[in-house]
Amino acid sequence: MRSSRTSLRCAVLGALLCALGAQAQTPVEGFDAERLAPSAPGSGWFVMDSLDMHGELGGVLAFSARYAHEPLRVSASRVPVVTDSAYGQIAGAVTWRFLRFSLGFDFPLAVKGPGVTAGGFQYPAADVDLGSNPDTLSDVRVGLDARLIGEWNGPFRLGLGAQLWIPSGETGQYLSDGTYRGMVRLLAAGDVAAFIWAAHLGVHVRPRDDGGVPGAPRGSELLFGAAAGAKLFQGESSRTVIGPEVYGATAFAGFFKPETTSAEALLSARWEGTGGTGPQLRVKLGAGLGLGSQFATPSWRALVGVEVFTPSAPPHD
Amino acid sequence: MSACVARRPGRWRAARGLAGTCLLGVALAGSPALAQAAPPGPHEDVAFDVMNVLSQAGLHDLEDEQWNAYGQTTYISSWKLPFGAPYTNLNGSTNSLLPGHERSYTWSATLFLGARLWPGGEAYFVPEVIAERPLSSLHGLGGAIQNFELQKGGSETPQIYRARLYLRQIIGLGGERQKTDSNPMQLGTTVDRRRLVVWVGNFSVLDVMDKNGVTGDPRQSFFNMAFMTHASWDFMADARGYTYGAALEWFWDDWAVRFAHTLPPKNPNQLPVDFRFWQYFGDQLEIEHDHTLFGLPGAVRVLGYRNRVQSGSFDDAIATFQADPTKNAAACVDFNYGSQNPGAPDLCWVRKDNVKVGIGLDVEQFVARDVGVFLRAMWSDGQSEVVAFNAADRSLSFGAVARGSSWNRPFDVAGIGLGLSWISASHARYLALGGIDGFIGDGALQQATEGVFELFYSLNLFKAIWLSGDFQLLWNPGYNADRGGPVTVIGARVHAEF
Repeated sequence: MRSSRTSLRCAVLGALLCALGAQAQTPVEGFDAERLAPSAPGSGWFVMDSLDMHGELGGVLAFSARYAHEPLRVSASRVPVVTDSAYGQIAGAVTWRFLRFSLGFDFPLAVKGPGVTAGGFQYPAADVDLGSNPDTLSDVRVGLDARLIGEWNGPFRLGLGAQLWIPSGETGQYLSDGTYRGMVRLLAAGDVAAFIWAAHLGVHVRPRDDGGVPGAPRGSELLFGAAAGAKLFQGESSRTVIGPEVYGATAFAGFFKPETTSAEALLSARWEGTGGTGPQLRVKLGAGLGLGSQFATPSWRALVGVEVFTPSAPPHD
Repeated sequence: MSACVARRPGRWRAARGLAGTCLLGVALAGSPALAQAAPPGPHEDVAFDVMNVLSQAGLHDLEDEQWNAYGQTTYISSWKLPFGAPYTNLNGSTNSLLPGHERSYTWSATLFLGARLWPGGEAYFVPEVIAERPLSSLHGLGGAIQNFELQKGGSETPQIYRARLYLRQIIGLGGERQKTDSNPMQLGTTVDRRRLVVWVGNFSVLDVMDKNGVTGDPRQSFFNMAFMTHASWDFMADARGYTYGAALEWFWDDWAVRFAHTLPPKNPNQLPVDFRFWQYFGDQLEIEHDHTLFGLPGAVRVLGYRNRVQSGSFDDAIATFQADPTKNAAACVDFNYGSQNPGAPDLCWVRKDNVKVGIGLDVEQFVARDVGVFLRAMWSDGQSEVVAFNAADRSLSFGAVARGSSWNRPFDVAGIGLGLSWISASHARYLALGGIDGFIGDGALQQATEGVFELFYSLNLFKAIWLSGDFQLLWNPGYNADRGGPVTVIGARVHAEF
């Protein structure tokens, strides 16, 4: 009799624990897990902006592809929610003197994740590939950048850039926040002899705030980053630039706390045409590491880009 | 056929040219038509568009383009008036056209971006957004869906997607030189009249084939899908009308031969695409000859297709149900169209590798300056379900389209047409037993010809905007004389190009 009472108590306790456990597994809606916001076509770097718009009407057409390994890991045990993500991007820009208007279309090639429970939250599985999503575009971006101070190839250039994200991807597949977003940045760049540099500081206006969900957006963020490169093998018609880019974001809701801050470092190299009157080519390669493991920071990332740009007419500005 | 590939629907320019200055009209560019997503028609020379503005400012060379960018937006509204029907969605079948009053609409906006990558090599990228509300959840009409822009699985929430992304390589083979004008999905340049053109990537089969120059750009022409292409051509496409694949065009003076190898959806009429390129596919072959008759241009096209896909055969579904009534429509466990009819067969039980074939004829002929007639006819075997286009097994459409030059409104368009479609005997038996396919199935059937008569007028405003009014009379929707109607659909359209 005593034994059966104990069993009953255990059963009731077990059921309660199960119920509590079930309650604790709060479903996560999903959000944009891609942290990298590629720079506008023609801007040279992968993330920074070279602010070298000049001349009369010019244009850039860019295709790039990027892969991130474990771009979304959560909790102290770094459980990978999204294990792999690969995107292609087609983008175009029109430049005129000190202005650049750009349009970027990201399309997921593969976004994969097993769907995990971590920290009491149930993250949806990601299963995106070209077969199941043959025509998906994740958030479309429209941008306007302006160089306000400095010559286009001078040692110090300062400008402003703004981008608008138009939501179009699925939140449950980690392709979109499902909301409009914006980005306003103060941009700086320069050419000093055989070296070039760039930096940005800005605000990512992000309405989504999933406070308490590890790895999820925590509202608007401060953006920061810097890059430096050396011009190598500079010839009459082409040059190669190699250098690092470091960039990141931290949510104002948890300013520079580890769980609300992401940072990455890339080493990039680009070969670009610099002479002639016909269309010029730029080829970019990059690879890098996530600095830390929280807030949608990948363990590593690789990128490739190809741009065709029309050489601007001699600058009049 | 032409040395002048025009900025307006190809053959229109040709007809005007024969009557006036342009002797050789159009051929290659024509109007690249699309599937449920509609085609970019060539722009008028006098149109207000970005490329013309840049050209007029001396900032762009339309004759030798390195890039171009065009756009369009279209809003179509359709009002279906009530019609009598003794039954609707009988016994749990779900695909009847509802008898009450309904309003349907579509709104689409498209960017057409093109760039030259190397000599003869062109890349095109076409993002698009669409929002829609179909009639009766896109059920009840076989070959005569009232609005060509409707997509399967669309929603009232605007959806942005990548409609096309492809490379095109032109390989000159000699002959006379021919201008191709700057147009959506066509860079302005000069090409050989004898040439090979290779397409690879993500596009619509209708970008390559069955480009009828009289019916032209659907966004300026007929509203009904029966006039966009052969209603019974089950060309490979995802739920939006696009696919992946490769195509080859061989132009030799007045002749053109086209072949395309394209991919099917994973499940019939759905969005995901099956990338098993050599296992499941649709092959199509088209032979075209351009001619002049009494000094006016025309063309004849013969088109054959063969699909190898996973689909359900109507006879198999009937036999399976009759052998084991537990394998009915309400008991489906695999992919199905949602019928709740326990007394009906269903294709869900019998999907396997099937081959579907068809052959069709497309004739266009100008009969006067700016007046053209057209006829399309196609026979498909009709043994298995529609996988990608409309629920029709045989189709015939014909009509006439006129530009308004004779009444001093040269950019207005008016048209009148009749579209008829039929289903095979096995398809009819399946529907009569209560089965449904991707579009139709009332729960019972008295087999009849489905038809549509359409009359439209597109009024051009400000060079780049068209307002259109449309009248459609449909009868025997879903091939069912029991619910024969007729059904009246009134339509209106606003279309702008930039």
